[in-house]
Amino acid sequence: METESRLVRLCIESACQSGDTVDRWRKQRRTLERLPSPLADALLRRLLQRRLLSPSLLVIFKRCVEEADLRGEISVDAEWMAYLGGFRYLRCLNVADCHRITSSALWAISGMDNLKEVDLSRCVKVTDAGIRHLLSISTLEKLRVSETGLTADGIALLASLSNLSVLDLGGLPVTDKALNSLQGLTKLQHLDLWGSHLTDDGVILLEKFPRLSFLSLAWTKVTTLPYLSSLECLNMSNCTIKSILGGTGDKAPLVKLQIAGATLLNEAEAFMHLEPSFLTFLDASHTWIPRFYFLSSMKSLECLDLSSSGIGDDSVELIAQIGGNLRNLNLNNTGVTSSGVGILAGYVPNLEIFSLSRTSVDDIAIAYIGVMPKLKAIDLSHTKVKGFIDYGDAEPDKVYSLMALQSLSLESLNLEQIHFQDDDALCSLLEFPELRHLFLQSVYHTDLSLHHWSSLRCLKTLGFRDAVLTNRGLDSFKPPAALELLDLRGCWLLTEDAILLFHRKYPLIELRHELIHISASDRPPSNFPSKPQFNRRTPPVNINSEKLCLSPTFVDQRLKYNREELLTLQYAPQSLQLNHRDDAIFKMLTD
Amino acid sequence: MKKEGIVKLISAEGFEFVIDKKAAMVSQTIRNMLTSPGSFAETELGEVTFPEISTTILEKICQYFYWSMQYASGKETEFHIEPELTLELMMAANYLHT
Repeated sequence: METESRLVRLCIESACQSGDTVDRWRKQRRTLERLPSPLADALLRRLLQRRLLSPSLLVIFKRCVEEADLRGEISVDAEWMAYLGGFRYLRCLNVADCHRITSSALWAISGMDNLKEVDLSRCVKVTDAGIRHLLSISTLEKLRVSETGLTADGIALLASLSNLSVLDLGGLPVTDKALNSLQGLTKLQHLDLWGSHLTDDGVILLEKFPRLSFLSLAWTKVTTLPYLSSLECLNMSNCTIKSILGGTGDKAPLVKLQIAGATLLNEAEAFMHLEPSFLTFLDASHTWIPRFYFLSSMKSLECLDLSSSGIGDDSVELIAQIGGNLRNLNLNNTGVTSSGVGILAGYVPNLEIFSLSRTSVDDIAIAYIGVMPKLKAIDLSHTKVKGFIDYGDAEPDKVYSLMALQSLSLESLNLEQIHFQDDDALCSLLEFPELRHLFLQSVYHTDLSLHHWSSLRCLKTLGFRDAVLTNRGLDSFKPPAALELLDLRGCWLLTEDAILLFHRKYPLIELRHELIHISASDRPPSNFPSKPQFNRRTPPVNINSEKLCLSPTFVDQRLKYNREELLTLQYAPQSLQLNHRDDAIFKMLTD
Repeated sequence: MKKEGIVKLISAEGFEFVIDKKAAMVSQTIRNMLTSPGSFAETELGEVTFPEISTTILEKICQYFYWSMQYASGKETEFHIEPELTLELMMAANYLHT
């Protein structure tokens, strides 16, 4: 889409405005036949987004479309497939999440001799019988059938698709025996086997795939993976890991390793066979690791995720030693404190994204963060940051800690659940002209704190959740010109009408709120939105618990519920009130 | 005869559109034809023939050039495209990189 010129985009918009406009060009068959495939593909995509595509309209594209991306389109069924089967030059067919596709519907695409890519992920009605229809497509290079109804027998059939380079069998009951029957697929480069029934005995067979560079064994019983010389990316998340790529004495040149949620029997042994200087990506989030010494030789790491891994200040030194190339560091929900951040400062010259959410860092850490020169995105949500450094009586003037970030060209800042009790602390954010994404969530924010952000010209995303924002406050808010998304969830004083009014004034901004969600793709073609374009949620009869959690500081019960909710509540508890008054109120709150 | 600052765009049917060179430069393809040193006859004559583009479409293209310049200078109006023209115009726009 990005490569399209503006006039092409305007043409596609104009062509897909409504069913009427479509009728005015659909008869131009000869022109359609000449349409270059990138244009035809884009037109098809836009028709789909605008919900204008039907099987009978599909047929006019049969000579021009090469890529049909219909994923998630629930109306796609056997009739659609019948028309798609007639697409002479179709190279790539994506019908992931199209739940109405059955095995017999796939009969229509059997024998299509230009087809190279098919994605049937999560089409649960596709079974072994459906796969038989695909076997005649010998050109197939990429096949994704994760979480379909395939059994081990059906998987074994795939052995005849000898050109396959990408095979996604995620969530399928792949057994050691089924993998054994796939040995002929020597061109395989990408093999996804998450959630399969493979065991340590079966994975030895992976040596038969000489070009394998990506392998996922997440959520399997595999504990020991043999040496695979071509492997670059490995996912063993949620496995119990004994050793990775050992056995020959050679060091495996792995580039990317994901072991999120894994159990390491011995962290030193698990990493022993890897060539540490090759690794650029390590995701060990939610993995309990007692010692982090293995980090010290991973000098090439660019992306390191140690969130919820149990790392504390005592091991931060090890990250500092290898900090030279780090671009993305995630330490969410760890024991790292401000002094740990202090150890890192000065050793991470290339760090761009730094996440410290749910740690106990406070305003002191911000001063250290301020000296990390390339930082673009910081997540400080759910921390002890207050916005100012309190030096006690010695220095009565408050020092606003966020000012320390001014030397950075910050693009994204997450301060959810940071409760600035002082508006001036928040105002120091106005000194970040390049800020594009700002996330705030606090019950202390008011109308006034929203109005500050009008002057941040680059702002694209603004999260302003749980605030005491009134209809009037929203009405008088002038959003920055670049704003694309305004998240107002938890702003409980707002009414649906006020949000709609704002949307009418600024139709290009996506809005989020419990009462109404207006997404960017619902953008009205003309200047006025018609009602059915909104995904309305009927006011819940039960007050859901989430809402109550979001606003723990309610005093007046009348403010807690909107009018419709009050009306539905009006009669319910009353009959109980005389006898079990307390019970009724308790029930009302927990429902 | 070559005039500075003016180019002639000729449609499949031989219809000639004389427009500002500046406007025509909105198209990356035309820009390349007019500015690449010596290699195109178009550079010399300030004339470009489009045997694949009909008069109706070329007229619309020229309108778009001027609209685009206005838009760039801050006058944000809507550029209306008749649905019947969308397919042909799309192809022309794709070819002209505009």
